[in-house]
Amino acid sequence: MNVNKKKKNRSNTPFLGVRSVSFSYDYDEKFTGRALDSVSFFVNKSERVAILGHNGSGKSTLVKILGGLLEPDEGECLIDGVNMRSMEFRDLRDKIGMVFQDPENQIVAAMVEDDVAFAPENQGLPSKEIQARVDNAIQKVNMAYKQASSVEALSGGEKQRVALAGALAAKVECLILDEATAMLDPKGRLDIEKALRELHKDGMTIIQVTHQIEAENFDDIERIIVLSRGKIIWEGSVNDFWERAEVLGFELPDEFKIKKFFDKKGIDLTQPLAVAWPALSERNTPPPSSKLKLKFKIENLSFRYDEKNYALKNLDAEIFSGRWLSIIGRTGSGKSTLVQHLNALYKIQDGNIFFDGQELPQKGREVYELRQKVGLVFQHPEDQLFSPTVKEELAFAPKNAGFKNSELNDAVLYGLECVGLDKKFLERNPLALSGGERRLVAIASVLAARPECVVLDEPLAGLDASYQKKILSMLGKLRDNGKTIITITHDLNTALNYSDEILILRGGEKIKEGVPGDVIEELMNILEPEAWPDVLRMSNEIRKINKNFPLLYNYGDFIKCFSQI
Amino acid sequence: MLLSNINLGQYVPTGSVIHKLDPRAKLFSLLLIISAIFPAKNFFQIAFWAAALITLVRVSKISWEVLFRAARPIIFLVAFTFIFNLISVYTTGDILTSLYRAVFTSIRLIILMMFAIMLPLTTTPLELADGLDTLLRPLKKIGFPAQECSMMIGMALRFIPLLMQEADKIMKAQLSRGAKLDQGNLFQRIMSFFPVLIPLFIIIFRRADEIAIAMEARGYDGGEGRTRRKPLAWTLNDTKAIIFSVFAAAIFFVV
Repeated sequence: MNVNKKKKNRSNTPFLGVRSVSFSYDYDEKFTGRALDSVSFFVNKSERVAILGHNGSGKSTLVKILGGLLEPDEGECLIDGVNMRSMEFRDLRDKIGMVFQDPENQIVAAMVEDDVAFAPENQGLPSKEIQARVDNAIQKVNMAYKQASSVEALSGGEKQRVALAGALAAKVECLILDEATAMLDPKGRLDIEKALRELHKDGMTIIQVTHQIEAENFDDIERIIVLSRGKIIWEGSVNDFWERAEVLGFELPDEFKIKKFFDKKGIDLTQPLAVAWPALSERNTPPPSSKLKLKFKIENLSFRYDEKNYALKNLDAEIFSGRWLSIIGRTGSGKSTLVQHLNALYKIQDGNIFFDGQELPQKGREVYELRQKVGLVFQHPEDQLFSPTVKEELAFAPKNAGFKNSELNDAVLYGLECVGLDKKFLERNPLALSGGERRLVAIASVLAARPECVVLDEPLAGLDASYQKKILSMLGKLRDNGKTIITITHDLNTALNYSDEILILRGGEKIKEGVPGDVIEELMNILEPEAWPDVLRMSNEIRKINKNFPLLYNYGDFIKCFSQI
Repeated sequence: MLLSNINLGQYVPTGSVIHKLDPRAKLFSLLLIISAIFPAKNFFQIAFWAAALITLVRVSKISWEVLFRAARPIIFLVAFTFIFNLISVYTTGDILTSLYRAVFTSIRLIILMMFAIMLPLTTTPLELADGLDTLLRPLKKIGFPAQECSMMIGMALRFIPLLMQEADKIMKAQLSRGAKLDQGNLFQRIMSFFPVLIPLFIIIFRRADEIAIAMEARGYDGGEGRTRRKPLAWTLNDTKAIIFSVFAAAIFFVV
């Protein structure tokens, strides 16, 4: 009943919004124009709105203006009909709470309770009231079980929920989230989503800014606004959005496409289907072993940071030349420790690694030679750029490897060509490029030294779909040209559909290694269903009624199964 | 291997009596103890302070492993002190006296630093900031930004471990691109660190910017009029700690 009453209160009175707001960064206008160009929209009280846009669409600028943290060059930002510019700092901060992308950059205290208390402490409330608000906020984000814990002991998703509680503790009327789930795993995302739903039910106004669209998280959202190059290009309901998504430059989730396909075909999944399911996916069988050449052979590898904690334990693995291996496991499963052994960043404590049949060098000049042959691209490699021009950045690794003159020049051009960037990028400053371009430059800077084997730690993290595709097809091409590719990923979809082999780790131990079709059941065991690809989750559902239905992870294969119906 | 295992005094919650002490009491005691250890002249005095340190670590329930790991960065300082003493005294006297002086000064420095490291291990950055804030408040009258300063120190303590991780990652990334960080003459070595330092500074600035925005979004504007969830409360234990420190320090000033 209470909910109904609230629903009625959701009148169309505009609560928070902007009127013909423009903004440009001084250094930016020459290159990319205005970050925001006369943007106008309003959010009603208790409404939940999503603002969608790709990288560089101006959404982060819009978030800061809406949150009263940045003043627009032109136009005005209004809350409850009052121009924010004329408001007291404290009054404004009592109304709007914000959650940003990186939880680490929002948490100011070492203990959960201390951090959540930060906002009410700034409001100058009495201790008792602060404690009451802290308790309340922590409960709302379902973190009561970690209330007295230290922040360091939390997972990424838990930290972000602490950040959310930190915003709620100020008793705000409106929440603005800027890519708040982008850095979290599926479980972390789901937990945030759950908390947001509850808050929305209780009448909180919520504005979410994101570049990811997920079917399951969208049904609670009442309106979608699409931002592109600083302008609003579309506005409407979620259902209308799905119809237009592809035109607007967004990729539909597989789950959505499949549901649409079933609706069209009139297939009812609650009934058993009398069809003989074809055997599919060539990925279920490995190539004959005579065709495989070992690149790395890892024997009984163990590694520990201190007496008790093993990062790797008795690990055996085989990595084949000219194949693409995905390493999958949760945080702390030993993925990063393993790959940092491959170019001798970590010295072998126990066990053996053979590279091309030779023992892996551990010191001296051979280590530098090894690092030229085995290129390692860390997570967020764009953070490691330091040169004034792209050209110098790309020359760094080959120069260290002893390339000179024309050889060096060729290496730079080779790196650039691998990632598909134009020659005119050579003279640009890496720091002035977009996030996606910077990532490509960083990967090119490793490829320039012409490594035989490339290891990438989460190469797709935080990128737009278009850049993700670019990197995936680039890695495929490198593999086809004979390079050995190793990627660490938590994205099962790419691992299953792009790589040739998968190595699953848990707690520093190998669970299984094999072609995607062979390891799928182990993957389903160690990762929760939210982390499964849509196709896999749906084929698993269908299997419950149709016993012989294969476990599939590829959209094309899945649709083929129903082509005869 | 590189910096990842260094723990520059991050808070370790054990819920001990020491943890529960008022940060002002801890700060004040530390100040007293340090000023008493500095003039220590013989091994008897050093033995006393070593015993005091051992007791403190026992009571605080901090494991020695954690303490030693936190203290690891001071090895360089100790080594430098040792060599410096060895050489400077040797030029004026015989080898035995210089060796004695070098060993003595090093041990004294280790004990002193261990006491200092116990403070952030048993006190959260925010408590520390609160404690400093009240202790420095008198200086506000002469225009010293006490509030801002103590918040700054608290934030530094919170973010140092994070920045160490970043530095570690960048070093590994540049090593992977074939950087030779530990070869050549001094000039070459310094130059070879630019590929680490430049990205590190960029990251620090970006983080600082984001943290400042997040703090502002939560209503922080310099700390004026801030209240506390748990206001500092002086208890009997705090008085006892202070009295103990005063006595211990006094013994050595008098003897």
